[in-house]
Amino acid sequence: MKKVYNAIAHLGSPFTTFILHLGRITNLFFQILLSLGYPFKKFSLVVKEIHFSGVRSIVIITVSGWFVGMVLGLQGYNTLERFGSVSMLGSVVALSLLRELGPVLSAILFASRAGSGMTAEIGLMKATEQIDAMSVMAVDPIKRIVAPKFIGGVIAVPVLSLLFNTAGIWGGYFVGVILLRLDKGTFWSQMQNSVNFHEDVINGLIKSFIFGIAVTLIAVYQGFIAKPTAEGVSLATTNTVVSSALVVLALDFILTALMF
Amino acid sequence: MENIVSIKNVTFGYDEDKPILKNISLSIPQGKITAIMGGSGSGKTTLLRLISGQYKANKGSVKVFGQEVGALNNREILKLRRNCGMLFQFGALFTDMSVYENVAFSLKEHTNLPEAIIDKIVAMKLEAVGLFGTQNMMPQELSGGMARRIALARSIALDPKLMLYDEPFTGLDPISLNVSAMLIKKLNDALGQTSILVTHDIEASLKIVDYIYFMADGEVVAAGTPEEVQKTDNPIVRQFVDGKVNGPFSFEYNTPLDYTSYMGLPNQMRGLS
Repeated sequence: MKKVYNAIAHLGSPFTTFILHLGRITNLFFQILLSLGYPFKKFSLVVKEIHFSGVRSIVIITVSGWFVGMVLGLQGYNTLERFGSVSMLGSVVALSLLRELGPVLSAILFASRAGSGMTAEIGLMKATEQIDAMSVMAVDPIKRIVAPKFIGGVIAVPVLSLLFNTAGIWGGYFVGVILLRLDKGTFWSQMQNSVNFHEDVINGLIKSFIFGIAVTLIAVYQGFIAKPTAEGVSLATTNTVVSSALVVLALDFILTALMF
Repeated sequence: MENIVSIKNVTFGYDEDKPILKNISLSIPQGKITAIMGGSGSGKTTLLRLISGQYKANKGSVKVFGQEVGALNNREILKLRRNCGMLFQFGALFTDMSVYENVAFSLKEHTNLPEAIIDKIVAMKLEAVGLFGTQNMMPQELSGGMARRIALARSIALDPKLMLYDEPFTGLDPISLNVSAMLIKKLNDALGQTSILVTHDIEASLKIVDYIYFMADGEVVAAGTPEEVQKTDNPIVRQFVDGKVNGPFSFEYNTPLDYTSYMGLPNQMRGLS
């Protein structure tokens, strides 16, 4: 009987752990919201975080966006050619990037580069008692460390997503127009005709904004719950990347269903 | 004499069935340096964290400046901590900030002083610990002893009334150790502070402290002035002061496993005894 009870408890434990983390991360989110006044008073902290998480991610975001755009251009051209609709290439590249690939991939890349860095920084501060020291000096670590990182991340992700989209469209242009000799006017005019600013560009930005909140929240939360050991910090950074990717993809499905 | 810290019948443990501190009572008078001594794992640092409000007692009362720490909310604890300074075992300097930024940290956070005044205060605090001129250095460039003294300068930046020292002498060379001990005494007297020193360095502590509590296995097992400690016949204190291997403090981990039968040995051959 005890074995059966243990087996059931074992089955249920991942679910209860998930609920526990969900509760704690929600609690952290509200604590951050209550602390948002502080980073606006000391805006240099936010600028530092934007530089760390945003500016330093520009290269990886631009290069990735360019390659994704080139792949879209190539695949789109080959597929559309079968149906005699090569002229639609500009629309296909732009809509794919603005609606889905730009927000999703830039958020996942942000989680891998900047999010993991945030987790490691907070985790190591915890391991070396820097968080405790700050707290004992009567400074709330949520206000001083987490809130500026959160605002920095939430500002950086939509901007990086715009950059990803721009680089991607130029990547598609390079393959379609420069390499495969599609008419330049057709490429741009078809894109102009089919892309709606509110429905496509703004909705894409809203997605990026929400992904920015989710990814940054996961990153700082993982840093705070990391075990204060080398292995604990390493595990926490991995968890940041994996959880962020899953959450971004799940949120993308929900937002796409609501928006389009 | 007024007690700055008053601890009565405190029990604490992460798991209530396995208490780290068992029914502890002690008081820390104003203006004095009080040492809390004991072997590793005796609960000294836990006690310090209860005083600084990082943990809350499961049972009993922890009063600091007359306020019941366990009953304070987060904002009230932060307010209480403005009168406290704490030196961590390895300094816990902010590694992304220079020495200047570390020492100026609480001044910038809690006061509206102009940069020029902060600059002067930082220079004074660094001079007090003998490290004026290191303002632009980063923590990675400092030796262990220097980092500890910078951390001390940081913790006294706001002239706290109560200073908590967590193992301030661990890992220091004899010169740095004596310098640190002298600094603690000098700062306590010059700033009119009350200091609590958690340590297991008996030699350095006996020179500077006014009163000593000995802890073992989560309990206060002896207490007295340095003179009383040096003369006492209490076996626990004697073992600690004389550094004896055999005595009430067990060197061996308390386990139900039997080493000799585990290893298949004929006689009692465990540990150093």
